[in-house]
Amino acid sequence: MTVLNRRSLLSLAGASAASMLLPGCSGGGNSGSGTQTVNWWHISNQDPMLTVWASLAKEYESTHLGVKINITPLENEAFKAKLTTVTQAGNPPDIFHSWGGGVLKQQKDAGLVKDITSDTSSWIGTLLPASVGPYQVDGKQYGLPFDLGLVGFWYNKDLFTKAGIAAPPSTWDDFLNAVGRLKASGVAPLALAGADKWPGHYYWAYLAMRVAGLDGLKQAAIDKSFDKPEFVQAGRLLKELVGLQPFQKGFLGVKYDTPDGQAATVGNGTAAMELMGQWAPSVQKSSSNSKTGLGDKLGFFTFPSVKDGKGKATDAFGGGNGFAIGRNAPPAAIDFVKFLLSVENQQKAAVTDSIVPITKGAETALQDPNLKAVSKALGAATGYQLYLDQAYPPAVGQQVNDSVAELIAGKASPEQVTSAITKVAKSQ
Amino acid sequence: MKQNSGPDRLAIGLFLAPALILFMALVLTPIALAAYTSLYKWNGFGLPTEFIGLDNFERLLGDETFIGDLGRGGLLILLSLVLQLPMSLGLALLLNQRLRGRAFYRLLFFAPYVLSEVTTGVLFTMVFSPSRGLFTDVLWLADPDTVLYSLFLVISWKYFGLHMILYLAGRQSIPKELHEAAETDGAGTWETFRHVTLPLLGPTIRITIFLSVIGAIQLFDMVWVLTGGGPVHASEVMAVTMFQYGFRRFEVGYASAISIAIFLISLVFALMYQRYVLKRDLEGAVTSR
Amino acid sequence: MSVMKKLVLHAISIVVGAIIVVPILYGVFAGFKDNGQLSTNPLGLPSPWVFDNYADILSSPIFWQQLFNSTVIAFVTTLIVVILSAMAAYIFARFAFRGREVLFTLFTLGLMFPFAVAILPLFILLRSLGLLDSPFGVILPQAAFGLPVTIVILRSFFRTIPAEIEESAIIDGCTRFGFFWRILLPMARPALATVAVLAIVASWNNFFLPLVVFNNADLWTLPVGVQQFKGQYSEDTARILAYVTLSMVPALAFYAIAERQLIGGLATGTIKG
Repeated sequence: MTVLNRRSLLSLAGASAASMLLPGCSGGGNSGSGTQTVNWWHISNQDPMLTVWASLAKEYESTHLGVKINITPLENEAFKAKLTTVTQAGNPPDIFHSWGGGVLKQQKDAGLVKDITSDTSSWIGTLLPASVGPYQVDGKQYGLPFDLGLVGFWYNKDLFTKAGIAAPPSTWDDFLNAVGRLKASGVAPLALAGADKWPGHYYWAYLAMRVAGLDGLKQAAIDKSFDKPEFVQAGRLLKELVGLQPFQKGFLGVKYDTPDGQAATVGNGTAAMELMGQWAPSVQKSSSNSKTGLGDKLGFFTFPSVKDGKGKATDAFGGGNGFAIGRNAPPAAIDFVKFLLSVENQQKAAVTDSIVPITKGAETALQDPNLKAVSKALGAATGYQLYLDQAYPPAVGQQVNDSVAELIAGKASPEQVTSAITKVAKSQ
Repeated sequence: MKQNSGPDRLAIGLFLAPALILFMALVLTPIALAAYTSLYKWNGFGLPTEFIGLDNFERLLGDETFIGDLGRGGLLILLSLVLQLPMSLGLALLLNQRLRGRAFYRLLFFAPYVLSEVTTGVLFTMVFSPSRGLFTDVLWLADPDTVLYSLFLVISWKYFGLHMILYLAGRQSIPKELHEAAETDGAGTWETFRHVTLPLLGPTIRITIFLSVIGAIQLFDMVWVLTGGGPVHASEVMAVTMFQYGFRRFEVGYASAISIAIFLISLVFALMYQRYVLKRDLEGAVTSR
Repeated sequence: MSVMKKLVLHAISIVVGAIIVVPILYGVFAGFKDNGQLSTNPLGLPSPWVFDNYADILSSPIFWQQLFNSTVIAFVTTLIVVILSAMAAYIFARFAFRGREVLFTLFTLGLMFPFAVAILPLFILLRSLGLLDSPFGVILPQAAFGLPVTIVILRSFFRTIPAEIEESAIIDGCTRFGFFWRILLPMARPALATVAVLAIVASWNNFFLPLVVFNNADLWTLPVGVQQFKGQYSEDTARILAYVTLSMVPALAFYAIAERQLIGGLATGTIKG
């Protein structure tokens, strides 16, 4: 700083500036005399989870004197932006929100997360097996889940009855049929957030799983090649759906969770279905006009099967939320996460219907019948695939989102989708 | 030009030093770093290790989205120069008149500029909402064919205030006597405008054109908040593409290359503009000792 | 001015004013609605008027803390950038020396660079300088990036002040600095007010820089605070709009005050001949 700057500072800011110069705190680790500070960044910056997390942290602190937990709740996009810069500067928080998959792998490759395999081996068996996979890289554990769900169709029972659909469709052909009937009855069959892109990729991902089989999809990721006929076929099926013009008016310009977005469109009864994850009911509720959503008119059915497809109808696609452990994290961090994942504490979170818990036995606390349905479907799942835009390296995941969005907007063919994804995959 | 004397040299050094130091440390250094990383394939973690020379730039030249960005950027510049700037000038002159409520209007017209991009984005997302906005028959942001024009409307709405106050300040530097003299000579409003106001506003106009073009080349915040570049790239501009690659795809080397491309495009424009257009403003009113 | 002309001017002003005000009013009124009303009645007056949004925000110490942070940061940034730029612009406008244009172009280079890309190298730089979680971690980069625009605008205005004034001042025994401080700056008031407003607005609305520099939530500025309202899966748009409406008030207020300088500066028309 130059002389001039110091002068102007003194003449203006004075005490106010001094009051702002609080000691910075970046990264955790032990800070003298046996106190451990744990820096925790999460994205539940609204109630109920905001309060749930905060009170659990306080509880832990009171029983573990000498541990201080600093919580930074952030909004989703802000979190991603901040995390990018601190991780790229080599300075990750001790506990931070993670969806696992390819992003976690990148972080592991850069040495930013801690290998907690041995620290957790004694109690990791208390968690649902399908849930811990996404947080493993090369067989070692770098994070832990706190919730797992799956993507399926959330539908308006009344609108289905009105359109003369007796039961939710179980095959793709039945599904297209149902779409046709709904359209004829004057309502938008599907709600989609075209501007967000990620909801659209769910369709392609499921179709790819149904046609190529779960193993086929996993193999394609390993081979970095999606140029196979099965994936092109998945694109064609999606194109067929898009051709029926099933989405709500102006879908290309709306986002997911705004008052005029995908969730609200279903919550207000303007569209009959959406393909979404386990948080769908609560978002429909909060973004709808009435603030109550569809209530008991809301139903859930899993993604239909595709005739002659190699995949099983019980293969699940979706994801969850979890904690990644930063490389500088003190032992208290892992112990705290263990505390959070105890059956009672998972139940405390589950009872608010904000998460689908992953600690065995905690699912009994779920209140919402729809979430119970999700939990049940998870229990019956024969295989699991994490969201493609999380499972794959970020560049590939983004390409999947982009390409599928182009397909849906009619600007790309099924072949172009697979070749674009393959191209990016090979360049990684 | 004569040599500067000792005390003059001291003054020059002292006056320039603070700005220069701050600028070099916090602006030039990051630019240099970005140029460096643009030659690497790097995901942002750790240090760049995979040197690939100009490959990123080669890839850029063949990148459909980037080429499209150039076209879209060009269109936005054209629209700004032809529509936005003249409108701002007109409004500045309007607000310079002795009109009742003039102060209020001035405050009002500048208000959009004061709003943050997040605010404007939220406001216009609702105004343009396909189900509950204004004129819902028009698919403002949902139609790939019209989204760029909707974007231009929002940009104009938000930024015209900037050009307006620059014109206002410039207009007010023109001494009253000149206009009075013209009036005495029998010149009408249009003639006074053409022969007195416009020429004297010349430097200001040239500056606003400069800022407008550079701003259009680097446009980011507004687009990001309103459309994110969508639907399917229909409203995407270079800086948005750069952000996608840098912060979403973690292809930081490529993103740096895009930023260097933006930088070079702006630089070429700025240099040519300075040489051919601003040259006139360099003459006169400069002391030399 | 003829009555006809006055009428036309008024009409235009009103129309333009309406176009500008509608989206803003929309935001202001939206703050008085709840999310449900926003969907069913987006453009009309709120009914009923929901005061909770504004009340909650105004009574929240977090809002005031962020308001304070935004204010201090904006003020200090502006002070630094205007003083440094005025000094540099003075040199560029009124001195001739070898390499002047090169140096000036160097500054304009800063205009060519999108801020979003500088974020990562800047962040690493700030970290090594120990400026993270310090208000100067935001103030200094903002001032640095504000230098090009401010210098360009000020240089342009300083040029318009004729050489004769400076020469007569020097003859009267004024030093370079004296001329700068006591004559040039006061004469350039409209320009100074302009660049000050631009600097304050830019600082006020800056989102990315404070977001990545401030880990400590106590240091957050208003735009970062707005994001606090956006949940992971849902948005309380009505509340956000109330928040942004409130955050825009101080910036507009400052402009209202500075605007008088813009008009006042007019009076110093000193050019003769």
